[in-house]
Order: sequence, then C-alpha cells, then structure tokens
Amino acid sequence: MLTALHNIGEYFLLLNRVFKKPENVKLYYRQIIYEMTSLGLGSLGLIAIISFFMGAVVTLQTASNIDSPLIPDYAIGFATRQSFILELAPTVMCLILAGKIGSNIASEVGTMRITEQIDALEIMGVNSASYLILPKIIAALLIVPIIIIYSMILGVLGGWVVASYSDFSTIDKYLIGIRWNFTMFSIIYALIKTLFFAFIITSIPSYYGYYVRGGSIEIGRASTKSVVYSSITILIVNYILTQLLLM
Amino acid sequence: MIEIKNISKSFGSNSVLDDISAVFKQGEMNLIIGSSGSGKSVLVKCIVGLYDVDSGSVEFNGRDFTKMNFMQRKSIRAEIGMLFQGSALFNSLSVEENILFPLKMYTKQSHEEMMERVNFCLKRVNLINVNKRFPAELSGGMQKRVGIARAIALNPKYLFCDEPNSGLDPRTGILIDNLIMEITKEFQMTTIVVTHDMNSVMETGENIVFLHHGKKWWEGDNVEILKTENAELCDFVYASKIMKKFKGF
Repeated sequence: MLTALHNIGEYFLLLNRVFKKPENVKLYYRQIIYEMTSLGLGSLGLIAIISFFMGAVVTLQTASNIDSPLIPDYAIGFATRQSFILELAPTVMCLILAGKIGSNIASEVGTMRITEQIDALEIMGVNSASYLILPKIIAALLIVPIIIIYSMILGVLGGWVVASYSDFSTIDKYLIGIRWNFTMFSIIYALIKTLFFAFIITSIPSYYGYYVRGGSIEIGRASTKSVVYSSITILIVNYILTQLLLM
Repeated sequence: MIEIKNISKSFGSNSVLDDISAVFKQGEMNLIIGSSGSGKSVLVKCIVGLYDVDSGSVEFNGRDFTKMNFMQRKSIRAEIGMLFQGSALFNSLSVEENILFPLKMYTKQSHEEMMERVNFCLKRVNLINVNKRFPAELSGGMQKRVGIARAIALNPKYLFCDEPNSGLDPRTGILIDNLIMEITKEFQMTTIVVTHDMNSVMETGENIVFLHHGKKWWEGDNVEILKTENAELCDFVYASKIMKKFKGF
C-alpha cells in the first residue's frame, strides 16, 4: 500500500516536471512530429487488422444470437456500430495500444536512463522529464483519436463485408442499421474517453521508464508493469467516464 | 576552479561520501581515483548536481551551486561539459545531431555557424567523415571521441569525465586521456576525471584525490603517488601480485 502511494506521488511529481515551460519550443515541435510518426504510423497496421476482424466477428455473433422475429434485421448493423463506437474502438483499441506503445515507451525511456542519456540531458540543463515525455503525450493526444476513428471505420467495414457475404442479412439492412438512431454524441463520448486513455498510455509507461534502476532485467520489468498499470487505469477511468458521460 | 567543502551524501542508511573537501584547479587534470564502490562517481554526480548533497557546498569559481534552484543552475550547466562512462550519446540522433543538440538548446547561432562549430569539435577529437553516422555504427573509442566533441561544443569552462577509458584497450585509453589533457590545456578548462585506471593516473594525474570508503584518503600528483607509504593507496596502486613484488611488498 505504501509503495502504491509512493508511486502515485512520484508519478504526479514527474507530471509536474513534465508540464514545465519548454526550454526550446522548436526542438519540442520536432520531437512531437517524430513521436506522432513513431507512435501513430507504427500502430496503423495492427489496429486495422484487429478492428476489421473484430467488426466482422461482432456482426456474426450478433446475428447468430438474434433469433426473435420481433427484432428487426437492421439491429445487427446497429449493434455492431454501437459496440464499436462506444466501447471496442476507444477502450479495447487503447488497451491494445497500451501494450504496444506502452512497452515501447517504457523500454525506450528506461534504456535512456540506464545508459545515462537522461543524465546527459540534465547536465546540459535540459528538463529531461519534459523533453522526453511531453512530446509523447502531445503526440498521443493528437494521433490516438485519429487511430480510433480509423478503427471505428474499419470495424464497421468488417461487419459490412460479413453482411455482404453471408445469408443472415443484406447489405441494405446492415447499412440501415449502422445509420439508425445515430447521434454525434456517441463519437464525442468515444473521443473524450480516447483523450484520457491516450494520456494514460503515454504518461504511465514514461513514469516506469524514467525511474528505472539497474539493467536490462529491470527495463523488462518496468515495461511489463507499465502495460499492466496502464491497462488497469484505463479500465477504471473507462468506468468513471462512462458513469459521468452516459448516466 | 571548483571547490568542494565538507560534502556528505547518504542513500538511506548507507553513507557514500563522508565530509570530503578538495580544490580542483583550472587548466589541470584533476583525477578522482579509488576502487569500485569508493564513491567517486557519486562525488562527481554531486558536483554536477545530478545528486543533491546532504551537507557541504560546491563552488564553481565562488558560485555556490548547492544553494541554486533549477533555473539558476542552468547558467552554470551551460558552462559544463561531461563525458559519461558509456558515452551517453543519443541513439536516435546522428553524430552531427548529437553535437548540434547543446548548440540548438543554448545558442541562437545560424545553422551554418552551428555546423562550423560541429565540424571544428569533430576535427579537434580527430574524427572525420562520421557526421551522418549513428552512435551504434561507431567503435567504443569513436563514441568516446564524439562524447568529448559534444562535451566541448559549448566551449565549457568545466569538463567532467566519468571513467573515460573504461571498455577501451590500453592504447586507445591513453589516446583518449591525452586528448582530454590537450583540450584541458588548450581551452584552460577545469577538468575532473574519475578513473580507476592506473595508466591514466600515471599519464595525466596532475592533481589526484584518492577516495577510500567514501572518505578522502590521500591527495597528491602522479610523482608523489609512487612514493606514498599510505597502505590503502599502495594496495590500490600495486593491486596485482607482480606490481606488489616490484614494489617489494
């Protein structure tokens, strides 16, 4: 318990350093562009495959579980859209990104710590916490919502492909379903959640990487811890945000 | 000149440095030596402010570094260059970008002026045609040279080197030591080198501080060290059996 409180305190102290005024805005700008490319482009392929097949599977499972004649066929498209926009794209994809981006950040920052690169930055008078972590957070806040919208589109597309090549629904009914009772707030709600998750999946791994001590084994441990705690935090924050925004 | 007064540092209940005072002179090779775990790297990290001291002071030409906040320390840090044990080059940046980094951070020079400085620094450490290469593509000795080039990019008044020849063969190690010495004399820097390599000590030690169990045990130069009767220092200097035999122990 004491360790947990110590870690939470240390995490917020680190964030306090991260959000100090940058020394050289131009250098930070370049870092943000670099991080956007590194975090964003590197994840597109994985997100595309997962989203497409999840959309297809959700459509198949919804169709196979609806056997009441009282439920219209377009409910399949509706259920796919709602589950993808409200939960699968923002939450599940961010959990996947926590694994991919999170472990990458923790090991990158951790390696910089044990090879004294962070000390080198400090010696130069650079606020190393801000220089290394702030661009990652800003880049994630900018790029992760785009990835999530991309995931939503591909998920619905996966369902559409299934609807096209199976006999339980028609494309027309699927398209009616994905448009039925659509409100823009669903997208806004998903993007609000995404912004919180983007912050979590960059700041928590950065914390574990920044304070790593020892060698390669500790980097591995920090990487694992960062994924575990980012995922748990995402799930807790997801519950709180859902309660606040939808209830 | 750097003057440290009564520095003590502990990590929890483990006392690492105990009441250490010393003066490191400008234009001289000041060496901090001692066996592993004696506290020499911690002492240097306390001097440059990577660790806060528990008590005592560190003065850079009379300016007390320990009493300064982060922003006040920045002005002194712009005058400090440091070569790390593993070179600590930024892996994602090329050699040129590594040396440009402090220049971009601290100066308002044009790109051409900065490139001129980068090329001067690389030439000064006898490296050519490596500008676009990445640290992973360089040998250990070349990485150390790039580390030195980056450390002198801002024309520092104070140069710190943490075990500059560790991991290098004796010949390359001596070349690096001589390079640091030449640069120290040429730019009249206050240079502090942490080492446990006796070749370095004999080659370059003008002012040597010997640490033992976190305490300053002995101080002198590379001539006096051979004549010392200090038991712990003799044990460090003449560590091998053959050297002990040579000394007549």
